Amino acid sequence: MSKSKLAVSLFILSEANFFALLIIAYLYFHAYPGEGPTAATSLNAYRTGIFSIFLFASSATMMLASRSYRAKSSAAFGWLIATLVLGGIFLFGQVREYMELYASGVTANRSLFATTFFTLTGFHGLHVAVGLLAIAAITILTGVGTLGTSAREADAFGSVEIYWHFVDGVWVVIFTIVYLWAFL
Amino acid sequence: MSDIAASDRIAELEANPERIGFLSWVASVDHKQIGIMYMLSALFFFGLGGLEALIIRAQLAMPGNHIVTPDTFNQLFSMHGTTMIFLVVMPVLAGLTAYVIPLMVGARDVAFPRLNAFSFWVQLFGGVLLYFSFVAGGAPNAGWFSYAPLSEPAYSFNNGVTYWILGLAGVGVGSLAGAINMAVTILKLRVPGMTIRRLPLFCWMTLVNSFLMIFALPVINAALVLLLADRLLNAHIFTPAFGGSAILWQHYFWGFGHPEVYIMILPAFAIISEVIPVFAGKPIYGYEFVAGSTVAIAFMSFAVWAHHMFAVGLGHLFDLFFGISTMAIAVPTGIKIFNWTATLYQGRLRFTTAMKFAVAFIVMFTIGGLSGVSFAVVPLDWQLTDTYYLVAHLHYVLFGGAIFAIFAGIYYWFPKMSGRMLDERVGNWHFWITFIGFNLTFLVQHLLGMMGMPRRVFTYPDWPWWMTLNMISTIGAFVLLISVIVFLWNIVSSLNHGEIAGDNPWDAWTLEWATSSPPPVENFDLVPPVHGRRPLWDLKHPERADELVAAAAGK
Amino acid sequence: MTGVVTLNPFSPQAAAISHLFIAILIILGGIFLLVTALVIVAIIRYRDRPDAPEARQVFGSHRLEIAWTVAPILLLALIAVFMIRAIEASDPPVGDEHPDIRVTGHQWWWEAQYPSSGALVANEIHIPVGKSLLVEVDSADVIHDFWVPELARKIDAIPGHVNHVWIRADRPGVYQGVCAEFCGAEHTWMRLIVVAEPQADFDAWQSAQLTNPPTPKEGMEARGLQLVKDQTCLNCHAISGLPGHKNIGPDLTHIAGRQILAGGAASNTPENLFRWLKDPASIKPESHMPNFQLSDDSVHALVAYMETLK
Repeated sequence: MSKSKLAVSLFILSEANFFALLIIAYLYFHAYPGEGPTAATSLNAYRTGIFSIFLFASSATMMLASRSYRAKSSAAFGWLIATLVLGGIFLFGQVREYMELYASGVTANRSLFATTFFTLTGFHGLHVAVGLLAIAAITILTGVGTLGTSAREADAFGSVEIYWHFVDGVWVVIFTIVYLWAFL
Repeated sequence: MSDIAASDRIAELEANPERIGFLSWVASVDHKQIGIMYMLSALFFFGLGGLEALIIRAQLAMPGNHIVTPDTFNQLFSMHGTTMIFLVVMPVLAGLTAYVIPLMVGARDVAFPRLNAFSFWVQLFGGVLLYFSFVAGGAPNAGWFSYAPLSEPAYSFNNGVTYWILGLAGVGVGSLAGAINMAVTILKLRVPGMTIRRLPLFCWMTLVNSFLMIFALPVINAALVLLLADRLLNAHIFTPAFGGSAILWQHYFWGFGHPEVYIMILPAFAIISEVIPVFAGKPIYGYEFVAGSTVAIAFMSFAVWAHHMFAVGLGHLFDLFFGISTMAIAVPTGIKIFNWTATLYQGRLRFTTAMKFAVAFIVMFTIGGLSGVSFAVVPLDWQLTDTYYLVAHLHYVLFGGAIFAIFAGIYYWFPKMSGRMLDERVGNWHFWITFIGFNLTFLVQHLLGMMGMPRRVFTYPDWPWWMTLNMISTIGAFVLLISVIVFLWNIVSSLNHGEIAGDNPWDAWTLEWATSSPPPVENFDLVPPVHGRRPLWDLKHPERADELVAAAAGK
Repeated sequence: MTGVVTLNPFSPQAAAISHLFIAILIILGGIFLLVTALVIVAIIRYRDRPDAPEARQVFGSHRLEIAWTVAPILLLALIAVFMIRAIEASDPPVGDEHPDIRVTGHQWWWEAQYPSSGALVANEIHIPVGKSLLVEVDSADVIHDFWVPELARKIDAIPGHVNHVWIRADRPGVYQGVCAEFCGAEHTWMRLIVVAEPQADFDAWQSAQLTNPPTPKEGMEARGLQLVKDQTCLNCHAISGLPGHKNIGPDLTHIAGRQILAGGAASNTPENLFRWLKDPASIKPESHMPNFQLSDDSVHALVAYMETLK
């Protein structure tokens, strides 16, 4: 494993632990909810599910982008753009969800569910945004043709890819726990 | 990405001597300069944290003192603990590792030099932010572990705890980046021949410690995020009055807090594991066991956190589990103590100041470790926790342990960093004054705790012996002040007039001693071959190289 | 009582801890002496001298490693056995008993209720000698810790998490207790005392706590009572027989009968009570009790009235 991929992997280990702890807080107050809005009364799992599909799809396009990049194919640029668009749609969905929750009076201080929900999904959204920035950077470099295929440059591409899959993977867990579980 | 850019930058600085000076430090991505800046920042905060301790001890010298108000007193001990842990011990160890690790593994810099600079500056920023609270309405006053709901806005009116959260987040991010950097440096940048089994123990323990930080720091970061939501967004995660849980904070905090103790002590073990063998003139006893026990400690440190919570009332079974797991962690710690002691035997012990601190470390840390075992015995914890017995215990671990080891490390590596020796005569004074002052301050505190004096009180009733013992402790604290002045004097005067060190003044064996003192920007002209754990020993005694001895023993 | 309280038990449960403590101190002291002796011998014997032999290049010994791994494990196992045997005796299980006393921690004083009789006191708990009492421990605000070292283990008083502890005193006396968990500015002065007395005395004390104090009709005392009604005292404190039943501050119905004032910051004498009412900060700087800027006359009247609240 290269230096940068190793560093990103270690970072991801740390981040995974961070999300695990936010999830534990969420689950704790899922078990002892107290008063105020809960997941079942506030969330729309169906619609968030659809937006989630965009995020999951972006992982696939990222993989295709990476494959094309390694094959030195110009299709990489297109797949990266697709990843950006799909990730962007997911983020848009989350912003919309937040705005609706806000409009219906579900803010971070309304209930223990709301606080843990917003910290958990908020930090995930932040990670998605950071990931999109990183992807935008390699997309631009690919677009203007300055991203070569040396080992170092391939590492940079690979590191972004690992990170993006991680962001995606975390959402699988969060979506299952926060959205699906609430309605079981 | 960054190391080529960094080397360009260094080359550029070299080519422009007018840029050498202040800017060469601020803009530096050189691990040696960053390491030194880390240590200087730690020294600065050590002064502040020490000053806070002195005010605390002055206030407690006699019952009924009015040197500070109760709230100021609370701010002082909260800041003292936070400062010493997050702005002194962690940064000074981060600085030592940043300086030494690349040299020890024969690399020209750390894996990510710019990230290294980022780590330093962001942790410094965190420290400055924390201290800014003093002029922004008041410092944190809920203790270094900010138990909820006392740390919630309903009970802590100033913004101190908010600054505490943000400051710690800064230190946490910096430390995490530093940990990743060190782990990658050790795993990826070792000179050929330095297999993982030939890694100096300092690197071994730093590697393990990096993993400990990678897993433990996100725990506090998550807790801080939730507490921040409570404080700034008016949420109630940790306020029971609104359905939150005060105990949840304790689980989160100590889930980080206990590994944190090992984050502070493993690098101290690492220093001791280098210093003792060199000055005993023989290899570390039981290398595999010292390294292996470190790994064991790292794993176990995540399963002992609730021994900080025996008084919470979580049930006997729960308490017993954590009591026994805590006792278990004493086993790998004991293995280390015995191996260091065994390293002394049949050696030829050169009692330099570094060695004096290292040997004193063994005994002082043993006291701290044993009093730690008494906290693992659940019923004893029920009496002794949150008393001065605990204050004594933690200072024997973190001062008699970590700080003694750090002094050993500074006396050991100062010649490498500065090119000059620290004065041994002044060093001898420094050691003895520290040793006496430290024991004077903290030994009596065991007894005060057993007499029922709780920690974090700004005064106490005038009962028989209470004043005498507190006065002894206060006198000890001022003796420690003298020791620090002697130490600073030694540094300043040695920097100007110290004996020239030469490449390898201690006759040591690891690679950092193969280059000049201080090392050139690129560290090495030529890295010596590595065929064993002690490359410079092998060079000096080719007929008795470690690998030959080992091969002969294997026959 | 004072002294080395953790080794000076007056109840079976505190004695169980104290005996365990002594055993552990002996074991740990032995290990300490062993390590220290080993280090000192090495320092003396292997110190660098001109005629000292060269260091032997030894790398370790599996046998010794096993020895100093196994020996501590055995020793710790022994300690663990001691601990497991002592744990129930140190902290007897609650079972389905009802609490004899309900203790609630406040910033910075202790409230105690006797559910069976309804007596309500502050900072001073009375118990009959030789009888085990179950104390329920709770908090009204932040985390406190109820600790009377000579009589029982310490136990946290946590909001939203009710705890229990058995206390008992086998000899009559006054036992010092204190809040052991840092709880804010005046954590220091959140002390309490436990008065252990023969059953008859205890019964007398308890029934006295249940009676309403006489209402003074004239003189300073009557003026004091009027001041209590006119000022905002009753917004925080309760005095039975008077309107309002607040427990924001300590119940004052029998304040004159107590030994300590302001969570132990002063002994309860008329002089100290005067200082306290005149300027609470002079006794307990950050107490929640406000300074009412009363004239000396008014304070004298208040003290006179309160001294009738036996």
